[in-house]
Formats: sequence, structure tokens, C-alpha cells
Amino acid sequence: MSVPLGAYEGIVGSAVLRQLRQLGEKLAGIRVVHVNSTREGGGVAEILEWMTPIMRELGLDASWEVIEGNPRFFEITKAIHNGLQGANVAISGKGWKTYEDVNARNFKRLRPILEEADIVFIHDPQPAHLLRLCTRRKGKWIWRAHIDISRPFRPVWKVLRSMVEPFDASVFSMAQFAQPLPHPQFLVPPGIDPLSEKNRDLSPAEIDAVRSEYGLDPSRPLLVQISRFDRFKDPVGVIAAYRMVRKVAPVQLVLAGGGATDDPEGKAVLKDVMEAAGNDPDIHVLLLPPDSHKTVNALQRLATIVLQKSIREGFGLTVTEGMWKKKPVIGGDVGGIRLQVVDYHTGFLVNTPEGAAHRIRYLLHDQDGIDRMGATAREFVRENFLLTRHIREYLMMMLVTLHSNQGNFVEV
Amino acid sequence: MTLFEVKDCALLSRMSGLPPAFNLRELRDRIAVCGENVLFHHFCETTLRGTFDNPDYRNDFAVWSKLNFGDRVLAERLGILDPYAFPSLRELRAATLEVIDERLGESTMIPWARPGDELFLMEATTVMFDTGIRISHPRELAASIGAMTGGSVYFHFLEARRRPPFGKDDFTAWLLENDAGEKNRPYVEALAHIDFYFHTLPLLRKELMKVLSDLEDTK
Repeated sequence: MSVPLGAYEGIVGSAVLRQLRQLGEKLAGIRVVHVNSTREGGGVAEILEWMTPIMRELGLDASWEVIEGNPRFFEITKAIHNGLQGANVAISGKGWKTYEDVNARNFKRLRPILEEADIVFIHDPQPAHLLRLCTRRKGKWIWRAHIDISRPFRPVWKVLRSMVEPFDASVFSMAQFAQPLPHPQFLVPPGIDPLSEKNRDLSPAEIDAVRSEYGLDPSRPLLVQISRFDRFKDPVGVIAAYRMVRKVAPVQLVLAGGGATDDPEGKAVLKDVMEAAGNDPDIHVLLLPPDSHKTVNALQRLATIVLQKSIREGFGLTVTEGMWKKKPVIGGDVGGIRLQVVDYHTGFLVNTPEGAAHRIRYLLHDQDGIDRMGATAREFVRENFLLTRHIREYLMMMLVTLHSNQGNFVEV
Repeated sequence: MTLFEVKDCALLSRMSGLPPAFNLRELRDRIAVCGENVLFHHFCETTLRGTFDNPDYRNDFAVWSKLNFGDRVLAERLGILDPYAFPSLRELRAATLEVIDERLGESTMIPWARPGDELFLMEATTVMFDTGIRISHPRELAASIGAMTGGSVYFHFLEARRRPPFGKDDFTAWLLENDAGEKNRPYVEALAHIDFYFHTLPLLRKELMKVLSDLEDTK
């Protein structure tokens, strides 16, 4: 689904759209190709789904190509993905050969468009080998790493680094996720779409419907954590914090997420969570289908406080989503949560279940503080973490990369 | 009177290429060799960057000293450095190094950041836009500034001091350029009295509007 750019004016203001249109005029007609490995599912596909049409609306000749592979290829790229995030994985020489062969097959199909493109964005490691194959490229190639590769498993990074070093530039979500590379490394945090089903305004009736569906009591405070059932999100720690608070305040807890059914690790975590929840009727563990965007939206709006007590995190867009809904967030002191949650201003950073319980109790005594932090959080997201800022930085990056002799100042 | 052309700007951040600093001595070494654009980014571009405006200090070195090294003494000494009070970034760099050297001399242990809290030096490209908006008379300034984006306020009042005429904001430069009979002197003086470095951009915009509106009210 594509929303016209003008629809965002009421949210971000006319000056922001004017910047985008001016950048679009400067880049009009250039051929931009995004390449990733999946058309649907996952954050990268979600970004490209809105970014490609908006680039077209701004006058760029933008397209989105998806590489095709067999199950073996995706097993290998999953291992590469995990290895880049620090997991000790073994990828044999045969495995890397399969990776390169699948890239080569895709290159045959994509060759004309890649050779002619003015800018090619390669998203994540799966299609990274295409650059080596495209010896007659005329444009600039940019590698977009959506994951944290700051502490990779060295044997995996050693091979991949040789593939990404020849790119003209790379992009990371934050400085802490990057690796030294011999070309410009831009820093572009992701953003959320305020008009998507997950973030758009909901009517009171839509919110009430979700409240009723899950039997939530409107008269008592509600704590909500939305995330996959993953140990890094520490759902059991959230239950421990809830229990400490429950002794003194009549709170309810929702732990909602998806993705456990086809993931053995997820199933085990879900089992642990169910055991930790026991028979407590005020703990609602919800295993949601992947398209439950409206339910997630309503749960975040129903929350008194949003939790994201991760012990390891990427950028943490669920934090951004909660903040956009005017909620203070109590989040783990890790990854991108640190960029978003500022103590006493947009929520609190915590390191333990005890810390989370302390901050929950602190906030439950201070409704004015909840309202003030929620309002600050919303404005902070409006200024910095919406898709309009995200696409502006992509456009600026293209401009700077195409005119790399212009130094540190570019006039549009 | 020439027209004042209202510009807007945005930053595109990138890594400086320097290795991260894990302790105060490494930070000192990075500051000693980094490009002036890096220094400017961590002292001056913090207001426009997509990070939360730190309520304590305007420059990253002071914030890092407090949060990452746990050294409040150093944070206070670095936090009071006003980059716009120095004639050039060279002098600002020398003053920053002097503060850090003094602290290193006082310390029995070099402060370290815990793993994951290392300090990354960055820089940015400024992309400037012409808004198409023009101001024709000083009395329009207050209202025009009230309608400006943070990027415009930053560009004309802060970033301008880096461009010729060095050390002057664009409003002042425009007022002086069009001031045959010294009629604009009250505006120039009002702008000169703003202690701007310690403001966030929304606060700075408010302050600019206030001093200019007060001036109109007293006429």
C-alpha cells in the first residue's frame, strides 16, 4: 500500500515535505535500484514497500528488486546474518560457493538494470556479492547494513568484508553498529510510518474492541511489551518486574508478539514465559499472527507504560512506536533504545527486573510525569524517527555520493 | 534594502574514520588529530542532530565525560566551553585539549568507558535548502523567525558564524549591510545579547522572537 507524500503534511509540516521535494528535483530521473532478499516479512521489506513509491513520487526512477534463492542459500545467509551479529557459526567453503552461485544466477537476470543504475542500494549481506559480478557498473553502489555488526564472528566478517569494502559507501543505523571500512559510512537510523496500520490513529471503538477481546480491565494500569518471544527481549525478566510491582499496585501485563511457531528457540522461550506467568489472570501472553498490526497499535495505545526490557537490541522500533503513542518507555540500557529513551524525559533505561519494577512504581505514582514524558516522547519521534526524516537522509546520501567532490556543504 | 533569503538545512551524519575512544587518553588523542569538521560536529551540530538535546551540556565531550567516564569535574570544565567564543576551531581544539590534559594530570587513574560505551567520533555534511521565503524589513524578523524550522534557525544564527563574515549570524550581517542611518542598531544589539550557545533550537527560536518582539513593542 502506498500513501501519497501529501498525506504526511499534517503530521510533519510543510517544510519537511518541501525539503523532500527539493531533493527530489535535484535527483529527478536518476535510476535507483534497491536489492534485498525478500518481498514481504521483516523490517527491510517494510521499509522498501513505502520508500520505493515515495522515491518515484519525488521524481526518481526507483525500483526494488528481490534476489531469488533456494532453501540452502537462505540457510547459509541466515548463518551469515547470525555470524555478523556475533554467533559462532560454521560456513564451509562449499557454503560460500553456494552463496556466490545464487548471487551469480540473480546477476544474470538483473544485469541490465544493475549496470545502468545511477545508484544501487544493496540491503544486508544476502545480495552483497552482486557488486563483484557487476564489473561494468556505471553508478555508485551503497551497502545498507540493517543489523548490528559491531562484534561479528571474525571468520564470517572476514569473507563478507572483502565483498563490502569495494562499495562506494555503506550505511548503518547507528555508530555503535558499524565496522571500520575504507569508504564513507553514513549513519541513518530507521523510522516508523505514522500512517501505517501499526501507527495510525485509532478510534475509541477500535481500541475498546481490542480491550474487550483480551479481557483487559479499563480501571487498572496496564504494562505492555510488544516483541518476539526471544531471550534477548527478556520476557521472563518483565514478568519478574511485574510481580514485584503487583505486590503494591493492581497492574496488568500484556506480553504480545509473534514468530514462535516455526522457530524452535522461540517455542522454548514461549514455554518459559507461560511457566513464569503461571495462572495469574492479570498476565496476558498473546501469540499474535504477523499481520496483527491493528491489535499491536491498540495494545500500545491501551498501555499506561510501554516496556522494552531487552538485554540486547537493534534499533528498537517498538520503542519508537510506543513513544509515538505518547507513552513513556521503560527500556533496556542497550542498542538503539539508548538513543530514544532518556531518563526523566521520555522514560527510563534499566538494567535489571528490579530496576524496571522501581521505575514502573515511580511512574505509577506520577500521572503528570507519565503525561509529560509521553508528550515529549511523541515530539522526539516526530522530529527524528518518522519515515520522512528517513527518506530525506537517503536522498541526501545519494546527492552526496553522486557529487562526492562537494565537501561538507551541499546546496540544493 | 536587500531581501533576506531564508534557508533551511539538514545534517547527514557519518563516521569520522577514527577508531572509537575507550578511555580519556584515547579521547584526547582523537581530538588532537580529528578534522575540524569533527570538532564542529561534536560542539556545534549537536542541536540539529537527531538525538535528544542533553539537558546538561551542549557538547558531546562534556556529556560523554559525565555519562561514559563518570567524571563530573571534567564534564563541568568541558561543558562551559563555548565554541563560538573562540576565534577559530584551532583555538577551540587547543582549549579542549588543555582541559583534558589538566584532568589527566590530576587523575591517579585514567577514566575508562565500560564495554559498549566507547566513544565514536563523527562528522556531518550540511545540506542547505532555499525555502523561497524572503524577508524585506527588520520588523518582519520576529514573525518570520517564529515560523522557521529548527534547521533555518540553526543555519542563520549558529552555522552562519562559520561562514564569512566570520563570527556573525546572518540576521546581524543582513541588518548591518542594510543600515545606512544606523536604524537597525537596536536590532543588532538585541541579537548580540542572546546567550545562545546553551539553548536548544526551540528555545533559541523563542528567545530570538522575544527580543525582537520586545523591541517592536517599545517603539
